[in-house]
Amino acid sequence: MNIRDRLRSTDKSRRKVRRKFEDVKGLSITSLLDVLTIILVFLIKNVSTESVKISAEANLMYPTTITNDALLAKAGTTPIKIFPDKIIVGTEGLQYGSPAELNQNTEKREQLFQYLKMEAQDIIRNEGMETCLIVQADNSIPCGYITEIVDAATSAGYSYIYFATLEDADWLQKYNVSTTQ
Amino acid sequence: MAQYKPSEVRQAKGQTAPQEPNLVPIMNLFLTIIPFMLMFVVISQVSLVALNFSQGEGGGGSGGGGGGKADQQKVEIHILGKAYKAANGFMGMEIREPGIDTKQMAAISDAYDFVALDRVLKDVRSRKTSLTDITVLVHPDVLYGDMIKTIDLCKDNGFTQVHYTRPKVSYYY
Repeated sequence: MNIRDRLRSTDKSRRKVRRKFEDVKGLSITSLLDVLTIILVFLIKNVSTESVKISAEANLMYPTTITNDALLAKAGTTPIKIFPDKIIVGTEGLQYGSPAELNQNTEKREQLFQYLKMEAQDIIRNEGMETCLIVQADNSIPCGYITEIVDAATSAGYSYIYFATLEDADWLQKYNVSTTQ
Repeated sequence: MAQYKPSEVRQAKGQTAPQEPNLVPIMNLFLTIIPFMLMFVVISQVSLVALNFSQGEGGGGSGGGGGGKADQQKVEIHILGKAYKAANGFMGMEIREPGIDTKQMAAISDAYDFVALDRVLKDVRSRKTSLTDITVLVHPDVLYGDMIKTIDLCKDNGFTQVHYTRPKVSYYY
């Protein structure tokens, strides 16, 4: 390379200008992906594949217990939710009426018995499982209603009755404190 | 006429932007899975207290207490409500055992004394180590929460076969 070529190569007017990289536009979704991965792991851990979904009802005050019995592995379940003003029966959430009707209305009691009998027979015939009734009742329900339901369920062929509660290992200590105060 | 410029091609290769992994399909997958899983997620701490009414386990039905155990082993907890108090002047719990005096645990300002019940159940457990059956008789006006607490204490003290029974109630005023 002679001096003329050298000068020509350093001439600014002839210098080749490299194009810059285009700036990356838009949001970076990497952090969002991280969040979604964490949520996914959490959901996989908590997801329930059981056929029975026992979810806490917002309007019910559950009693607390120390013990927690596991639901039978091969259990065909029928839920019954007893609110202070209404009763909801079965997985379809059928409106039954008020708890007072259990004691007062013979026809309604018979209807409940027939429904539970049909459900129990259905579980035994189609699924070949143990029949379980899951009672989700409010703390303040008088036991007279619960007894009527247990009576109807056992007569209809339910082998196990489960009462839904909230686990609290210290309720007795708390109760002790509250009664002494 | 086009000129062959090998160095230009080489330079062009070196100037390409670094490739980032395409996260959009993964995002789409996640956004599909997550709502689906949210539908099935169970975020509650509901536990269960079981009563066994199957034939082989000795019943527990509300009709008559069930069980094929000898009477000497039969321990009953009576939960007496306000209606009983109106008729008999006592509200609380009673533990009845054959051959032993009935133990009464009076309610303190209409609240059942579960601490005393726990103490008595521990005493029964220490005397009858092999006993697993216990019967709970609940009066109709007793609240569900109190009945569950009683059953819970029975189970916690090793009485795994709890029989739930309706007492034959007749109040005379």
